Amino acid sequence: MINLSHHNVIITNMEPLIQREYSKKLYIQLVEILKKKITSDEWPVGSQIPTEDELCKLYDVSRSTVRTAILELVRFGFLKRQQGRGTFVSRKIITAGLTVLTDFKELMLAEGLKYSTKLLVRTMVMPTGDIDKNLGVSLDKHVIYIKRLRSVDKEPLLIKETYVPYHLCPALLKEDVEKNSIFELLESKCGIQITKAKGFVEITYLTKEESSLLKLPKGSPALLFTQQIYADDTVVKFVRMIKRPDRFRYFIEVERKPTFF
Amino acid sequence: MAKTKTVKEVMIDVFEYPHVPYWFTIGQAMEIIRKSLMTGDKCYYPMAVLVFDEKYNLMGSVTIGDILKGLEPKLKISTLADAEISYVDEDVMTSYETSLFNAESKKNVEKPVGDIMVPAKTFVAPEDSVVKAAIMMIHHNVSLLPVLEDKKKLVGLVKMVNVFDEIANMIL
Repeated sequence: MINLSHHNVIITNMEPLIQREYSKKLYIQLVEILKKKITSDEWPVGSQIPTEDELCKLYDVSRSTVRTAILELVRFGFLKRQQGRGTFVSRKIITAGLTVLTDFKELMLAEGLKYSTKLLVRTMVMPTGDIDKNLGVSLDKHVIYIKRLRSVDKEPLLIKETYVPYHLCPALLKEDVEKNSIFELLESKCGIQITKAKGFVEITYLTKEESSLLKLPKGSPALLFTQQIYADDTVVKFVRMIKRPDRFRYFIEVERKPTFF
Repeated sequence: MAKTKTVKEVMIDVFEYPHVPYWFTIGQAMEIIRKSLMTGDKCYYPMAVLVFDEKYNLMGSVTIGDILKGLEPKLKISTLADAEISYVDEDVMTSYETSLFNAESKKNVEKPVGDIMVPAKTFVAPEDSVVKAAIMMIHHNVSLLPVLEDKKKLVGLVKMVNVFDEIANMIL
């Protein structure tokens, strides 16, 4: 424990500290500390956070460390800076890395949000429409169809429809798909190693049923995600997700590599 | 006389028939039947789809006969006094024929299969005898009989063809 008696600010024993002997970069440690304050609601949505000066003193770090940490939290949507007013805790927006294969559950855990899943439908269908092409199976193959509603903080955020060929994972008919993610079940119950996902993001307009589930007016625009999940070259799952447009944003990073001729 | 076979011994796998939820349209069911049951050499009789609810409980079945009936436009019910024609009038029959399976049928294919489904009310258990299955089929006029384990879980189907074969073995 570092002796803090020489500091001119009062830090309670509960206050997490920056550990200098720890190999993690200082600003990353500060990001984690501040993130925890936001996700635990110690700093509620809309509240103003301490100034950079105050944070410098509070954690005994340089101004550039504080600035980098705040910028990082702004980038991930936890904080919002308002010119001349200060920095505020922003309404939670869920950030997903488009290029990284993440599952909703993993994502929610990483973001520290409380979420719940409601199973609406679990039955068997034949792959009509474009489902056969998306799954790469013929129309006479039985397909498990699961429809769930995901909510964060009791607010419905997304409708997720999942199609998995029955022969690949019959266990999905029985397993708890409210607590477990299908992603995990495919791996743990059916030994399917998911390797990649391909998909599209587009705008859709909510049908009557979708709008009542998401508590939005009929015909409202929403984000539509269609995704094929692969294990090597086989499509093991086709997902159709309808997301509230105002609660998600996507992080895209493009790197320019020097080319050599 | 040899012991009669049990349902378990003659039943077929439930996955030999297409499964659809009740909100699928008649059009989708038609497409599915053509692609799953009408290709190849395998003999599917009866030709049908099984209809399930949102929790994957069996609700009933839809045969190709039920579909044709469902597509047929509902005719205006007329009284005998209105009738000006005899039932053998060829011209009227022709105009009746051409009016069938046209515009109204195109609308009807959008209806859910739940509307035309025949609810499954008769079941047998895997341990029941084939004779019992035969009796059920004759008296309830069904050609595809669901086999339920513990009165709940759908484990198979008995087709009239299989029952017929067994009864023939017993009698002939």
